[in-house]
Amino acid sequence: MTARKGSSKESKGKVVRRKRREMKVKTVEEAKVGVFLSDCGGQIAKILDFEALTNFVKTVPGVALVARGSEFWRGEGLKTIVDAVKTKKINRVVVAETIPKISEIAIAKAVEEAGLNPHLVEVLDLKDHCAWPHRNTPREATEKAKAMLLAAIEKAKLLEPVEKAEFPALKSILVIGGGIAGMQAAEDLADMGFQVHLIEKEPFLGGLAAKAVRFFPTDDCAICIQSPATDLKTVTQTSRKCVYRSGFSEIPNLSVLTNAKVVKVEGGPGNFKVTVERKPRYVDEKKCVACDLCTSVCPVEVPDEYNAKLIKRKAIYINKPLVYPPAYAIDAKACKFHECAKCVEVCPTKAVNLDQKTEHVTLNVGSIIVATGFREYDPSVIKEYHYGEYPDVITHLELARMLDAFGPTGGVPVKPSDRKPAKRIVFVQCVGSRDRRWNPYCSSICCMISLKHATLIKEAYPDADVTICYIDIRTTGREHEYYYEKAREMGVKFVKGRPSEIIHDPATNTLIVEVEDELLRRLLELEADLVVLATAMVPSEDAKELAQILGIELDQDGFFKEYNAKLRPTETKRRGIFICGGAVFPKDAPTASLHAHSAAVKAAKFLMNGKIVKDLKVAVVNEDYCGNCQFCPVTCPYNAITLEPKGDGHFVAKVSELICEGCGVCVGTCPVGAIELRHLKPSQISAQIKALLSINGTSKPLVLAFSCSECGHAAIDSSGMGMMSYPANVRVLRVPCTGIIQVQHILEAFKAGAQGVMVVGCKPDGCHYEVGSQKAQKKVEMAKTLLQACGIEPERLEMFNLVFIEGDKFAEAAKAVTERVERLGLLQLA
Amino acid sequence: MAGEKPLDFAREITNRLGGETITRCYQCGTCASTCPVARTTERYNPRQIIRLALLGQRDEVLKGDSIWLCASCYNCQERCPQKVEIADVIYALRNIAIREGNIPAIYTEFAAGLMSEGRLAPISKFLEKKRADYGLPPLKPTGMEAVKKILAATGFDKVMFKKEGASQ
Repeated sequence: MTARKGSSKESKGKVVRRKRREMKVKTVEEAKVGVFLSDCGGQIAKILDFEALTNFVKTVPGVALVARGSEFWRGEGLKTIVDAVKTKKINRVVVAETIPKISEIAIAKAVEEAGLNPHLVEVLDLKDHCAWPHRNTPREATEKAKAMLLAAIEKAKLLEPVEKAEFPALKSILVIGGGIAGMQAAEDLADMGFQVHLIEKEPFLGGLAAKAVRFFPTDDCAICIQSPATDLKTVTQTSRKCVYRSGFSEIPNLSVLTNAKVVKVEGGPGNFKVTVERKPRYVDEKKCVACDLCTSVCPVEVPDEYNAKLIKRKAIYINKPLVYPPAYAIDAKACKFHECAKCVEVCPTKAVNLDQKTEHVTLNVGSIIVATGFREYDPSVIKEYHYGEYPDVITHLELARMLDAFGPTGGVPVKPSDRKPAKRIVFVQCVGSRDRRWNPYCSSICCMISLKHATLIKEAYPDADVTICYIDIRTTGREHEYYYEKAREMGVKFVKGRPSEIIHDPATNTLIVEVEDELLRRLLELEADLVVLATAMVPSEDAKELAQILGIELDQDGFFKEYNAKLRPTETKRRGIFICGGAVFPKDAPTASLHAHSAAVKAAKFLMNGKIVKDLKVAVVNEDYCGNCQFCPVTCPYNAITLEPKGDGHFVAKVSELICEGCGVCVGTCPVGAIELRHLKPSQISAQIKALLSINGTSKPLVLAFSCSECGHAAIDSSGMGMMSYPANVRVLRVPCTGIIQVQHILEAFKAGAQGVMVVGCKPDGCHYEVGSQKAQKKVEMAKTLLQACGIEPERLEMFNLVFIEGDKFAEAAKAVTERVERLGLLQLA
Repeated sequence: MAGEKPLDFAREITNRLGGETITRCYQCGTCASTCPVARTTERYNPRQIIRLALLGQRDEVLKGDSIWLCASCYNCQERCPQKVEIADVIYALRNIAIREGNIPAIYTEFAAGLMSEGRLAPISKFLEKKRADYGLPPLKPTGMEAVKKILAATGFDKVMFKKEGASQ
């Protein structure tokens, strides 16, 4: 039972806590409710009897004022509300207005300016939720409107002020990973004035892109980022430069740490304390002038990993030519240090220091961006392709190094076995990807990489015989299909079929690729000098460890999990930590840049004010009831809840006010009712249940529909907007997320007179609070079992998962549930 | 393909033991390329059998001889990137074919031998002499009663001989 890392040191909104104490005095005040009824310019008054509604509202205890108008969320109407608050001392505001999602913002803002807490406002929609869907039964609609108004008033009377809190947000950011995405994000943020720390585990920046040399579909250098704009006039004359000439190092508030990795993260969003371990480079970056004298004297030679081990390099080395920082580094695994020390003697600037030690740097940052990229899958596990066994079977990254003019073969594709130029080259697609045995997903960029390399080879050597064996060619990006077309024009051959085996003929040192040409339905044996495997792209090796340190999730394939690719791209479950580039999924360089810009904007938005201000619409824990169970910390979709020791081995839940998003999934999970939302108390839900079911006015049995504020409510909105009819006996109670619903709420509804209960939430996998909809489904199942045990038909209860455009499905469901309940007859409660 | 109901046949196969994985196939051709039978005859191509089956070409798959040519070496199944259990799918198809009386004559002969002698291959004097030459012990009686009991209990006899020699 350990507390989640970091939460305990989170900052508090001190200023506001004082304010809240003041407000507590005010809440003792008796509720004086002002009710404002908009008839939408008379439109809905043709259906609803507004006089009857006005008279009804006047009789409700606590109502001090009723006003009718054509609209209340702007202009004169809004002034009426403000005046009522200022002069008539109205302290609760209930407004029947259309488009509540918009109007309630405007009303809350105006009310706040008039001196009332903006959370003492309740807005209901008599148009889309009553008049339009029940326009054929106006008398029934009016009765339902009364119930809706009563529910809003009863809830309003119980509303309590919700205050704002301020949390410090350091305007500094840590970017992990110095590839295309990381560099781009770092540059964006530094340009915007944030203090940026970019860390890279290797001694040089550039990542995969630097090795890949060129990118498709323009065949530009891969290692280009947009040049920084700030005060770097000479550089900004061109729009784009390779990183080592981009002025990257000259951006004032950017610091780069190479050979570095994160080992510890403490604190919370806005104020993380990150410990970075920095391995020694043994060369002072500030002194090294990259003169190359050291390598000429270094006696140690090791295979050059940067160049796919096709050549050797010295123990002191630099990656050429696209490199940052432009300073040599010593390979600690190879160097003989003081036994040799020739480089120290020869260095003219005294840059070499063999006594450098590993150091730990502490960085205080407001947010963190993960851009650790991806890597090529090692295909040696796929025995039938004999990678690692036959030297002339290589991967794309190895071929890319050969195609680099500065690379190990000077730009010539050769057979590694005898270094002779390769004339017959066969590419094999989907090696280890789209393969349930290894990686089931499509790595998305390998088709284009093969096309790129095939055309580069054909361009340089038109006589080369290049064949691509494919299952499907996927060229989905802009201009990508033209690239495919170009390859065909240049004479690249395409065989539809996945090779089953690569065989080596020792007599001729030739490879034979066995494949079925499906279109000819013929078995082929393709002879090749070089076979290039388009291997899967997989998460970086340290992804798992880093995810653990940061407290963020990986997806089923091991990539960092984006909260929601459409609603919350580049965000993680942990606030203040963002992810981008190939760390999220394999990407080409342009897409990685794009993704990095997005992460940079998100991080900037988060920290730009130097503080985070939010309404404390969050969960609060009653420590007297809470104890030792792990339900809410485990269920919270935002990791906002931790267990804190209270002595004697007793633990209680603690909600981070900064991280909590106020969905209420924890409330629905708590077995003892020890946690509640500040903005929707259990008493307010109960009051609404009773009020909505206190008036029927229709000939049909009452049905209560709990709906979430997101897709569920949107679906109900759209059925009304679309003028789809459903009977007026169906009443809607809105909660933030269906995850808040407890079995007792459902039972309470039946007890209060509901003959049927509906729960309307988002799609199970499309819940805006991730797990709420799934949790609600479980509650519904549990409640069904309980109902059955009590002799109540479980069919009276059903969950629906709808989205905005499924208004018709809501109307159908409302009708169906009503009919079903009618058939079952009146509910007999003991 | 008009009039065919491809999904029906695919569902029929996935509902049978061994046939569950057929819909995963994305026609990469690894099976055909690795198949020793396909190498020797154009009459057998596992990829094509799966393709025909998924397109609902029921008669072409079940009435032809191609499903009977699989040698059950399991090379295809070992290498299939979608983990389609190809050899098992072929068994599932054979099972459907047999129940419908589409059995090549040679299999009916094997079955008859099994029913009467308890052995697929008849034992001749020549064979017994060969065994003796190699120092192998003489064959024991097969326990025909038990074999017959088992075959009757599994319904083997009815399935094999309901429609004799319906397929050549």
